[in-house]
Amino acid sequence: MEEPGNHSRTSPEHNPPEPRPTHSEDGVDLTLIRWMLSLTPRERLETLQNTIRSIERLRHVQSKC
Amino acid sequence: MSNPSADFLALLQELTKRQVDFIIVGGIGAVLQGAPIATFDLDLVHSRNPENLERLLFGLQALDAYYREHAETKLRPTTIPLAGPGHHLLMTRSGPLDLRGTVTKDRSYDDLLEHTIEVQLAPGLTVKVLDLSMLVTLKEELGREKDLAVLPVLRRTLAERGKA
Repeated sequence: MEEPGNHSRTSPEHNPPEPRPTHSEDGVDLTLIRWMLSLTPRERLETLQNTIRSIERLRHVQSKC
Repeated sequence: MSNPSADFLALLQELTKRQVDFIIVGGIGAVLQGAPIATFDLDLVHSRNPENLERLLFGLQALDAYYREHAETKLRPTTIPLAGPGHHLLMTRSGPLDLRGTVTKDRSYDDLLEHTIEVQLAPGLTVKVLDLSMLVTLKEELGREKDLAVLPVLRRTLAERGKA
């Protein structure tokens, strides 16, 4: 029987979680998908609109150069 | 052509306020389900029943919609073309809006309904969105380079949603 307070550091409850892959085999960034899935649908839509605005700002600056 | 800032939420609010029956398909539908992709227009399949076409037309008038290819003359959409199966590329005061009478294999609003989920964007604003699985099927059927390019992200999003 294992003594109290004498848990091995390799016991399951002390194992750090397996690092999840950041990319799929076909190169898709899974961290972006997990981030988007953590948002509400409305936040996802706002993220898209912010992205579009950001791209438009970059285009605007580029056209002035 | 004028360059209005995209405000897809305002666009959806206007159509929903007028009780227009539509399904969000395409990129924004994918984004609403968590796919990290960028898209510049809102793609909808509308119901072509006569009462809905009337509501849609009023909504489009309120949105100052016109055909993007006829920006100089501001050619406005009318009921008869909207009653057909075709594709209408419009610009509105809230950004680009693509209306489709049908999608691949002549699927209409009624055919797609069973493949939709309801997404609440705000109190009183719930929209029908084509589910990600069906969206993948449509992109596969379309088979164009731009559709195939986005498929890996859609498939992985579907898989990650399954794990959540």
